[in-house]
Amino acid sequence: MAVYHADALVIRSREYGESDRLLTLFSREMGKLQALAKGVRKPKSRQRAAAQLFTYGEYLLHRGRTLDTVNEASPKESFPHLWNDYDRTLAATRVAELLDMATIPGQIYPEAFTLTLTVFFLLEHFDPYLLQGAYALRLLRLLGYAPRLGECSECGGALCGPRLFISSAAGGALCLTCREQYAGRWISAGSMALMRQLLNGEMRKLDRLRWNAMMQQEILETLRAYCEETFERKLKSWQMGSAAVEGGGQDRDGKEGST
Amino acid sequence: MNFLQYPRPLADLIVALSRLPGIGPKTAGRLAFYLLQQPEAAESLAQAIREAKDTISQCSICCNFTDVDPCGICENPSRDQSILCVVEQPRDVAALEKTREFKGLYHVLHGCLSPMEGIGPDQLKVQELLRRLEGVREVVMALNPTVEGEATSLYLAKLLKPLGIMVTRIAHGLPVGGDLEYADEVTIARALEGRRQL
Repeated sequence: MAVYHADALVIRSREYGESDRLLTLFSREMGKLQALAKGVRKPKSRQRAAAQLFTYGEYLLHRGRTLDTVNEASPKESFPHLWNDYDRTLAATRVAELLDMATIPGQIYPEAFTLTLTVFFLLEHFDPYLLQGAYALRLLRLLGYAPRLGECSECGGALCGPRLFISSAAGGALCLTCREQYAGRWISAGSMALMRQLLNGEMRKLDRLRWNAMMQQEILETLRAYCEETFERKLKSWQMGSAAVEGGGQDRDGKEGST
Repeated sequence: MNFLQYPRPLADLIVALSRLPGIGPKTAGRLAFYLLQQPEAAESLAQAIREAKDTISQCSICCNFTDVDPCGICENPSRDQSILCVVEQPRDVAALEKTREFKGLYHVLHGCLSPMEGIGPDQLKVQELLRRLEGVREVVMALNPTVEGEATSLYLAKLLKPLGIMVTRIAHGLPVGGDLEYADEVTIARALEGRRQL
């Protein structure tokens, strides 16, 4: 089949050659794809909008010997809120980078597609970094790497104390006895409780959760380290941090992990 | 591609040319043979490359490419020193200058924020911009209308607005000569947002 359709999200869009863009598309039916969108950096290109990062659209692709090319593209949703707010752009970038890192071409991930699309829509109104944390935990679960956060991943025992230990090698939290064998990091019990809610709570009610700057940093850093160790690659946008703008995303004070 | 069938200097030339953007190994081979057949062209090209490499540097004020420091635009007393136009690349300065509409000064960032590629504010000429804001009342963002360009504009606006500087950006809309029918909804929405009274 030389020509095929893909209902897809653009999760990466890189400049390529004189006026082209190399797109990484994430489609419901075919998983991750790469395709060359020719001439889309020229102002008169009709496919310009569909080749932008975070666009959800319908793509008609032509199978090439080395690279597939975009024959036609029509955007369905451009998520303008992801263009107009730095924190939302950064959160969406982190979501897209994690998805790109965690998935491999040729495999189908329909649930991950739905999750990503949902998160892109919810980013319009929800705390972007809360959604980013929830997305990371839920994507890990969809791919079979869900961390055990309610009990010790090693012995199944209860977790106690104000500070809890989490390790990607162990696959989640560890009790004081089991933690000796693993490398990991300490986080507060409140942050661990909030992570459980981010993982298991209803997605459309996530905006009821509140966290403070310390919990935000602790959870996102823990998730970054967990994902990097799980997939053995660095998450560049996660390392950059919202600290790029002083106070950006850091001013959302609230009760710890309450709904 | 294997160039062992060619003498080593010729193979080296083809490899060097093929490293240039937009030039593949076959085009590099064609260019290399052309240069060998046209010694005068080869000589003048080599001289031009060497001279550009030796004399062109970044302006210490606007970070544009220049052969004299500060560059001609920064040194020009007739330009409005209170308006700065921020662009991504030196070639964007040339594109804006062609319009003859902008009379202020420029600042070249040499890229835009791209968290996914690991390009943050430290990799751009942001500190250089913050150091030259004395007497500036308006900063115009003329970055590419992409997610990365918008993110960079928003980031700079967050830095500049608390300093009491007016931050504006160039209009987004339909290209001259383009058909409305073929425009995408984002462009049309932006064009409607930025409509003006006739």
